[in-house]
Amino acid sequence: MVKHLPYRYRDHSRIAAEASLAARDQGKFREMHLLLLDRSPKLDRGSLIGYAKELKLDVPRFTKDLDTMRHQPELDRDLKLADTLGLYNTPTIFINGVKFLGDRPIEEYRTAIDRELQAAGTGGKNR
Amino acid sequence: MSRRALPPLLLCALLAGAILLPSASFPAEPVSPAALAPLPPPPSPPENPTTPEKVELGKKLFFDRRLSGDGTMNCATCHDPENGFTDALATSLSYPTTRNWRNSPGLVNVAYRKRLFHDGRATSLEEQALFPMMSPFEMNRNLDYLEEVLKTVPAYVEAFQAVFGGEITRQRVAMAISAFERTLLSRDTPLDRHLRGETGALSSRQRAGLDLFLGKAGCATCHNGPNLADDRFHNLGVPEDPKAKEDPRVLATARFVGKVSGFPEYRTLREDPGRFLITKDPADWKAISTPSLREVAATAPYMHNGALGTLQEVIDFYDRGGGDDPMKSPVLRPLGLSREEKESLREFLATGLSGKIPEMRAPVIP
Repeated sequence: MVKHLPYRYRDHSRIAAEASLAARDQGKFREMHLLLLDRSPKLDRGSLIGYAKELKLDVPRFTKDLDTMRHQPELDRDLKLADTLGLYNTPTIFINGVKFLGDRPIEEYRTAIDRELQAAGTGGKNR
Repeated sequence: MSRRALPPLLLCALLAGAILLPSASFPAEPVSPAALAPLPPPPSPPENPTTPEKVELGKKLFFDRRLSGDGTMNCATCHDPENGFTDALATSLSYPTTRNWRNSPGLVNVAYRKRLFHDGRATSLEEQALFPMMSPFEMNRNLDYLEEVLKTVPAYVEAFQAVFGGEITRQRVAMAISAFERTLLSRDTPLDRHLRGETGALSSRQRAGLDLFLGKAGCATCHNGPNLADDRFHNLGVPEDPKAKEDPRVLATARFVGKVSGFPEYRTLREDPGRFLITKDPADWKAISTPSLREVAATAPYMHNGALGTLQEVIDFYDRGGGDDPMKSPVLRPLGLSREEKESLREFLATGLSGKIPEMRAPVIP
């Protein structure tokens, strides 16, 4: 599950989060998410619409979602949740309740997942 | 690289935590067990005596995100109590859009350190505490501004008045945080109990590891005294991180540190000069402070840049005689440890030096 925490001091963090959610509504959240990471810091409105074209999204619909900030209530809910949980850094990742702060090597997540699976046992019988 | 004397370093990075086993003056003879000792009570410096009220204030500041420029980081971000007071990363977390270049050390028993940071540029916790706050790639907080921010918080104004009898200053912020850090202790490890004469405190395997630590493996040459550190600096030939050299943000950090340290060729700096940045003594080129080995199992990855991920990798590194740096300590040489000996040494490091790391939750921040 992904929650959003657009960094308040970056010009385009909020609109980039909107773009990922607008892409999600067209079934391409992950594709847009990876593209945003790859193309950062080019995250202005024009660039985002260009990425929507690249991903063959319905661009008029995507653009309208951006311009009307259609997902503002959802983003505000995520921000409130982060505040409630005392989270201020991105990424913050939870694996079975274990917190991982900051950008980390993929091996660290793999190890954590394997450890949790092992602790849970087959079919989670140890939980 | 210039080797002439230059002005001392003024700024930068995070205090550090590498692992150092054998050293520059490798012993021909085993080190006496008397080179080790149980940890005494922590110091309480006369210029900043530890009091419960000061510790409580320092704990709040340690966890207060106001200490960072964008309000996203506090001291615990990189010194997380749930990770042995480190961030468990090879190179430490950094201010948004920047990259750090050194490893975040654990803080348990930091009260006993005589020099702080991997390059030893601070000689007291009070001196150390302000560096990460003002470092642009760490917390990036202007200290004049920080003082004014904290003065807008009535509870802090009252607390500083009660603890210090005066207003909020950056020096008092550092003093309070230092007092808190001096309470982060682990003084009851199997080694401590063994050194106090408790029979059976060490298992047979831990005991074999201790014998190697004092003898064949040569660890105690540098890792000695109550805190298992000689508070000196050594070039072990730890490899640079090749990926870091390709990241322009890491290069910017390295060059910035070189620049503020008076390193003439800072624009082409592509490696960590270590203690040389401070002393400008050629003998200190790439020399790094000896860390304590207490609670070492909780502070992976190891070395000043996190180059080694596990204790096993550290032991293998020393068994090979250290790294390939032509200027590394000349007395490092292959140890010839057997698999069994390596395992005994690992067991001693991992469990014989582990007690109870202080557990804590973030306090309520005013």
